[in-house]
Amino acid sequence: MFSRDVSQPLRAVGGLLLMSVDAVRFLFRRPFQAREFLEQSWFVARVALLPTLLVAIPFTVLVSFTLNILLRELGAADLSGAGAAFGAVTQIGPLVTVLIVAGAGATSMCADLGSRTIRDEIDALEVMGVNPVQRLVTPRMLASGLVALLLNSLVCITGILGGYVFSVFIQQVNPGSFAAGITVLTGIPELLISGVKAALFGLIAGLVACYRGLVITGRGAQAVGNAVNETVVFAFMSLFVVNVVVTAIGIQMTPK
Amino acid sequence: MTLRALNPRVFRELERPITTLGQIGEQTTFYGKALAGVPYAVRHYTRDIVRLTAEISMGAGTLAMIGGTLVIVGFLTLATGGTLAVQGYSSLGKIGIEALTGFLAALINVRITAPVVAGVGLAATFGAGVTAQLGAMRSNQEIDALEAMAIRPISFLVSTRIAAGMIAITPLYSIAVILSFLASRFTTVFLLGQSSGLYDHYFSTFLSPTDLLWSFLQAILMALAILFIHTYFGYTATGGPAGVGLATGRAVRASLIAVVSITLLVSLAIYGTSGNFNLSG
Repeated sequence: MFSRDVSQPLRAVGGLLLMSVDAVRFLFRRPFQAREFLEQSWFVARVALLPTLLVAIPFTVLVSFTLNILLRELGAADLSGAGAAFGAVTQIGPLVTVLIVAGAGATSMCADLGSRTIRDEIDALEVMGVNPVQRLVTPRMLASGLVALLLNSLVCITGILGGYVFSVFIQQVNPGSFAAGITVLTGIPELLISGVKAALFGLIAGLVACYRGLVITGRGAQAVGNAVNETVVFAFMSLFVVNVVVTAIGIQMTPK
Repeated sequence: MTLRALNPRVFRELERPITTLGQIGEQTTFYGKALAGVPYAVRHYTRDIVRLTAEISMGAGTLAMIGGTLVIVGFLTLATGGTLAVQGYSSLGKIGIEALTGFLAALINVRITAPVVAGVGLAATFGAGVTAQLGAMRSNQEIDALEAMAIRPISFLVSTRIAAGMIAITPLYSIAVILSFLASRFTTVFLLGQSSGLYDHYFSTFLSPTDLLWSFLQAILMALAILFIHTYFGYTATGGPAGVGLATGRAVRASLIAVVSITLLVSLAIYGTSGNFNLSG
C-alpha cells in the first residue's frame, strides 16, 4: 500500500524529468518545428492576453492600495512609486504571468494533446516514425516560455501604469515623486530576474501540460478533464516552489 | 434567410452583443437555480453532501494521492508566505527597517496573499475537478439520464457541491492562513536569522482580528464564485473529451479573474481608501 502510494507520484516526476530532458535535447537537433512553434506561440498569446490584463489590473490596484496605506503611515507616501514598481516587477509580473500561462495556455495545450492521445493520434505519429516529443513538445515548451516572457513585460507595464493611476488620482500621491520613485528600488537586475522567472515558469508550465497530455490514463471525457485539472495543480505547485528559490537566489546575487 | 446563409460571419458579428447578453442571462438563471436548489439538496441529498465535502477537501483521483485540496492549498500558501518573508526582509532591509518583517507578514498575508493564493489553489484543485466531473457527466449523457429519471439535475449535481464547498471552505482557509503565518515566521527567524522575540512582537502587535475575519469573508465569497463558475462551465460543456478539457481551462481562466477582482472589491469596500490601519497604534 505504502510503496504504491509513494511510487506513483515519484514515477510521474521521473517521467516528467525524462521528457523534459528529451525536449531540451531536441532543441539542438534538426529539424526544428518552426511552424508549430509560431502557431503555438500565437495560440498561447491569443488565449492569454485578455485574461492577463483582466487579472493584472485588479492585482496591481490591490497591491498599490495596501502598499500606499503602509507608506503613508510611515510618512513616506512619496515612495509609493518605488513600491508599485518593485511589487510589479519582482512579484506581480512573474506571478500573474504564471497563473495565466498555466491557467489559460497550459490547460488548452493539455486538452489538445490529451484528446489526441486518447484518439491514438500520438501512437499513429510514432508509427510513422515521427517523434512526438520533437514534433509536439519542444515547440510547445518554447512557445509557452516565449509568451510568458513577453506577457511578463506587459504585466510590469500595466502594473506601473495601474499603480500610477490609482496612487495619483485616487490616493493623491504627488505624480512627480511617484515617477521619480520608480527607479529607486527597481533596476536592471530586478528586471532581469523577473524575466528569467517568467521564462522559466512558462517553460515548466508548457512541459507539465505536454507531459500530462501525453501520458493520459483511461479514455473519455473524464480522463481528459482530470488531466487538465492535474496540469493546473502541478504547474501551480512547481511554479510557486520555483518562485521561492529564484527569489532567494536573485536577492543573493543582486548587490546590496 | 438567403442573406444570412451567404454571410454567416457578418451575421455572427452583428449578433454578438445579443449572444453575450443571452449568455449572461443564462448564467444568472443557472446561478439562481443552483442557489434556490440548496435547501432542497440539504434536505434530500444529505449523504451526497457529506461525500462531496470529503471529496472537495481531500480531492479525487490522482490528486487524492498527494493529499488533495487541503495539502495543495496549504502548500501554495506555505510557499507564498516564504516568498513574502524573503522579499520583505530584503526590501525592508534596504531602508534599514527589516525589524518590521513580522508586521509585513501580519498585514500582507492576511490582506492580500492568503486570500488570493487560497482562491487560486481552490480554483485549480476543486474548481477544475468539478468542471471535469460535470463535463464528463454531460458528455456521457448522465445529466440527461438524471432528468429522465425525474431527479433535478441542478439540485443534485450543482447545489450539493455548493453546499459541500461552503462547509469545507472555513477549515480549509483556516489551515491556509495558519500555514502562511508559520512559513513567514520560519523563513524570517530560522533562515534569515532574525530574533524570534522581535518578529513575534511586531507580528502580534499588528495582527488585527477584524482583518482576519474579513479575510474569511473574502475566502467564502471567492469559494462561492469559483464553484458557480466551475459548475456552470462543466454543466454546459459540449464537444466530447476535447470540449471538456477546454471547458476546464476556460473555467480556470474565468475564476482566476473572479478571485482577484473579488479580493480587490472586498478590500476596497472594507478598508476604504484610508486603509483602516494605524501604525502608530
